[in-house]
Order: sequence, then C-alpha cells, then structure tokens
Amino acid sequence: MSQFDQQWQRLTALARQAPADQDTTVPTGFATRVVAQAASTPVDGPWPTLERLALRGFLAAAACSLAAVAFNYLGSTPELPEDAGLDETMSVLLDLS
Amino acid sequence: MVDEAFDFARCLERVRERDQAASRQLVTELYPQVIRIVRSHLPRRVAEEDLAQDIFLKMFTRLEQYQGNVPFPHWVSRIAVTTCIDQLRVQKRRPEFRWADLPEEQAEMLDHVLSDEREAIPGDALAARELVQKLLGQLKPDDRLVLQLLDLEQKTLAEISALTGWNQTLVKVRAFRARRKLQKMFQELQQQEKS
Repeated sequence: MSQFDQQWQRLTALARQAPADQDTTVPTGFATRVVAQAASTPVDGPWPTLERLALRGFLAAAACSLAAVAFNYLGSTPELPEDAGLDETMSVLLDLS
Repeated sequence: MVDEAFDFARCLERVRERDQAASRQLVTELYPQVIRIVRSHLPRRVAEEDLAQDIFLKMFTRLEQYQGNVPFPHWVSRIAVTTCIDQLRVQKRRPEFRWADLPEEQAEMLDHVLSDEREAIPGDALAARELVQKLLGQLKPDDRLVLQLLDLEQKTLAEISALTGWNQTLVKVRAFRARRKLQKMFQELQQQEKS
C-alpha cells in the first residue's frame, strides 16, 4: 500500500466514526405530496423505451437512404448516347474514316 | 433501515391498483433508506427533500418495470443512486479546493494526514467526514460515487455493482483511477502548503 493509500485509509476510517446523520423521519405531508404528484405523472411502461428505439432506428434508416441516394447521384457518370460506342466500333471495324 | 416485516409484495399490489393509502405507506417505509442515500451523495445546492421527491416519483413512474428479480428496496436504492449521480453530472463545475479556505479543524486534520504522522489523528470525526466530502467533491461524479461506496460506506464490489449497474472489474478500475486522482490532489495540496 502506498503512502497516499495509507493516508486516505486513515482519513476515511476517522470519517466513518462520525455519527450517522440525524433524523430520518418523513417530513409532514411529504408522502401525500409525492403520491399526488405521481398520480398526475404518466407511467413509464416498456413502450416509451421501444418507441424511442424505433424512432432512432427510423432516423438511422432515413439517413442511410438519403446517403445512398446522394452517393448514387453524385457518383454517376454523364450518360453517353446509347449508340455512340457502337458507331465508333463499327467505323473502326469497317474502316470508314 | 427498512422494516423486514413490511410486506412489500402486498403493498405493491395495492399501489398498482391505484390505492393512494398504500402508496403513502410505501413512501413512508422507504423514506429513511432513500434519505440516507441522498445525504451521502447530495449534490451541492440541491435540497435533500427535492431530490428524495424526484426519486420517489421515478419509483412510481417506473413501477411497471419492476420484475421482482431483486428485493424492492434494492431496486429503489438503485434508482436513488442513479438519480443522485445524474444530478451530480448536471453540476459540471466543481468548487475550487484551496487550503486557505478550509476551516481550522479541517486544515489541521489535513495537515496531520499529509504529514503522515503515525499516531492517531486527533480531533473530530465530523471534521474528517466534512473534509472527505470536500475532497470527493473535487472528483467526477462516477469517481466520487465509487470511493464513497467503497471507502466510506465499505460496501462490497458485488453490492456496488448491484447499485450502479457497473461490473465488478469496472468498479475496481474506477476506484483505482479515482484514488490516483485524489493522490494527485494531495500532492498539489502539499506543494501549496510548503509554498
């Protein structure tokens, strides 16, 4: 054990000897107040968690779709006329030039 | 301590049936346990009663999620600990710790601890506890929590793991790192004192 660890252990050992903190009786009206507030608060079931996860999934899927569309759009090469390549090949083969 | 004779299962059944008297009984039964947790982890400037109220509200709103795998008071303790730590995380700024700002008895206590005198530290356990709380208050919430539970409340790794949801290896690693940060703070204090 290092010197610091010994110092810390001595300090915490002494701190533990301090008397436990005061009174733990419920303040007047506390339980009534909490219960009344709880009654007006919507209950968290498993659905809100699933809804949050589903929303995240939906947003992630939407982001992926947009990225895929953008990637395809930006990555595409300008279209050549359909028969341009064919014409060139034919002219070479038949030596028309 | 929670009354062992208290029938939580029956009380919870009644609470689920929206019996307000049972709900009040549940709050009254768990209040001493919750308030002890709140006092030992109390973030600055947060009134203990407000924090206890938040904890009980969470307990009621999440009641449907309680599966009965652990005793109900343990489940509530976990809500209490996580609520306190969330509050501590909200308060990102921690007060500056300076030797000169310490009350006389705490400064004397710290002097004895730092000077590594072998005899028992004279004085007062209350001053030591306040000093420890001030030192822990300099740490990040997770570090503070782990040292509070391990070194002050002397909980086992299994108990801390159950309260926080961290695995035991993580608890050990966090405790080690937190002590190293405290050590660095002690060294800085020693230098302050020398200068």
